Amino acid sequence: MSENIIEAQGLVKRYGDVEAVRGLSFAIRHGEVFGFLGPNGAGKTTTISMLSCLLEPSDGTAIVAGHDVVKAPQQVKRRIGLVPQELALYPTLSARDNLNFYGRIYGLHGRALRQRVDETLEMVGLAERASGAVETFSGGMKRRLNIAAGLLHCPEVLFLDEPTVGVDPQSRNAIFEHVERLNAAGMTILYTTHYMEEAERLCHRVAIIDQGRIIALDTPYKLVADLGGGIIHLGVANGMAEGLLDQIRALPEVRAATRLDGKVKVEATRAQEALVSLLALFNRTDTDVTALEVLEPNLETVFLHLTGKRLRD
Amino acid sequence: MLRQVLSITWKDLKILFKDIGGMAVLFLMPMMFIIVMSTALQGTFDPGDTGQPRHLPVVNLDSGGLAAEAIAQLDNIDGIEVETAWEDEPLTRERAEALVSDGDRAVAVVFPADFSARVEGRLEDAEARATIELITDPAVSTQFIAPIQGMVFGVAERVAETALIPARLEAGLAEVLTHLPGEAQIPLDEMTIEAEETNVVHMEQVAPPGMGIEVFPDSYQQNVPGYTVFGVFFIVATMAESILREKQEGTFRRLLVAPLPKPILLAGKLLPYYLVNLLQVAVMFGVAHFLFGMALGQPAALLAVSLALAAAATGLGVLVATFGKTQTQISGLSVLLTLTMSAMGGCLVPTFAMPDFMQTLARFTPHGWAMQGFQDVLVRGYGLVGVWPEAAVLLGFAAVFFLVAVWRFRFD
Repeated sequence: MSENIIEAQGLVKRYGDVEAVRGLSFAIRHGEVFGFLGPNGAGKTTTISMLSCLLEPSDGTAIVAGHDVVKAPQQVKRRIGLVPQELALYPTLSARDNLNFYGRIYGLHGRALRQRVDETLEMVGLAERASGAVETFSGGMKRRLNIAAGLLHCPEVLFLDEPTVGVDPQSRNAIFEHVERLNAAGMTILYTTHYMEEAERLCHRVAIIDQGRIIALDTPYKLVADLGGGIIHLGVANGMAEGLLDQIRALPEVRAATRLDGKVKVEATRAQEALVSLLALFNRTDTDVTALEVLEPNLETVFLHLTGKRLRD
Repeated sequence: MLRQVLSITWKDLKILFKDIGGMAVLFLMPMMFIIVMSTALQGTFDPGDTGQPRHLPVVNLDSGGLAAEAIAQLDNIDGIEVETAWEDEPLTRERAEALVSDGDRAVAVVFPADFSARVEGRLEDAEARATIELITDPAVSTQFIAPIQGMVFGVAERVAETALIPARLEAGLAEVLTHLPGEAQIPLDEMTIEAEETNVVHMEQVAPPGMGIEVFPDSYQQNVPGYTVFGVFFIVATMAESILREKQEGTFRRLLVAPLPKPILLAGKLLPYYLVNLLQVAVMFGVAHFLFGMALGQPAALLAVSLALAAAATGLGVLVATFGKTQTQISGLSVLLTLTMSAMGGCLVPTFAMPDFMQTLARFTPHGWAMQGFQDVLVRGYGLVGVWPEAAVLLGFAAVFFLVAVWRFRFD
């Protein structure tokens, strides 16, 4: 058996002249929680749609659980579960009726169906509200039920597409715990999000995706470590004296410095110490600082560093 | 506050005009309805001298000359176009029956071989009648037949009476001469009485062979199938909107990820609406039968047409769902299709009252075939064998709708 449960090679999805996904290649290992981190419109959902046989790739190949998504879609579909970004539930039906329906779609019936529905309701903490109409549920409860509907048939791979959009912090934590529990039980999870905290907390590895391309792929620790000690943005009044940028680059705590829209972007190995040295330098050179921003090293900063924009832009 | 109102109005106008298909349907729908209804009802509402002429096939078997005289007078009436030949052959009785039974003509007239002889025989026998046969489709309403019947009868009666006048005058004068002198006034009175006795001509209404019972449709037999078919096709909008809602709310996405082939998924969406359709038919016909005493004909034949009709309606529902991308498009397209096809298919206006080309168009709609199927059962008394062509065509429509829908259905 291959070490990887998902292997994508040069995946492309075109809509007319627009390329939503531009040649993605990656592999996800068995039992891994793999994150797609990127802003809205980056191509995360389109990629999941191709991996789950909803969309046919315009180019490239993808093997999921040992089967080609184009050549053997039914084989792939039996082995995956999808929790879409939308609340894919029937609001007027009860939680149990919704799960019964989706369970039957996956071929469960009789005692096995009842047992799986009970287990799943218990797992997402909705056993006591099983008979309630979904339209009466809170946002968090609906999200949990949305996840439950993707788990009924015990998939080998679970695609979670932005599962925490619009939920309160308490429900978000509950969802994190479910994901961790499912993964501990051996389920491989592909998790898309534009919240860097979620990627950092849940994912073994993260692919940072922007404009249909993977721009970085590694463990959250390694991605952050590669960035160094953080980023400092400085606004400087009256332009910048000749040679000041070189002096900044020469500081021992600074890894790189560039001009960016009238600001100076400084990549530091140690942000706090670099800040002290920078302020001392500006003092010596009579440079007025009009704005100062210190970005702690995290995935958000990594994204900003790589793309020049924030995840939630 | 006005600025806010205008902002909202502008925003909604932009959204509406981005949906070109939806807007087109909003304009097309009333336009199509106006065109179809106006054209379909042309023959009914036009006074006759400017509108579409009513074709009247006439078979002349008369060995004398009176029928020819009557036919010539009929041909002179505005709005009537007498047809004594068909495809360059003199019209025969068999051909006239076929024209009526095939639905090409609603009515045909047959002047029998002894027409002139019987009229002239009236002089010898006061009870003698010259019979004209009116071949009609039993499904055609009396409202349509009555004016034609009246016209043919009136012309034939006038020709007959005119033909009898010289002989009667002669006989009357002879009588006068016998009684002269002194009693001339008596036979003159008798002549007046004789002249008032009309009905030399008798009309007999018959159905073409094979069109079982000669029962004319009452208003229920016309309207119940008409509005049932009309109503059954309204499922198209409900069904297509449901599919669109599933797509928009993500439930369809989840179903498409499940290991279900697309045709199965679409069939699953189709079945509940199919059952609702059957329920609609059962309720409509049930009410007509139990409350208004409408005879239902042979149950197996009625069931066959109903099953096929529901399949065609739900098939169209799935197909419409693949064309509409917004709720506006779906509802507009559904209304456009259902109203136009209902009018074309004879649900709202009987097809026999339509011009020829509209009658031909009716054959391209499932509504037309369903109407014909139901009327075969209810009015013409056909059984399962008699309605199989209509049921087969309806199932053909269903199959085409469904297969095109499966082919067109796209997640993206």
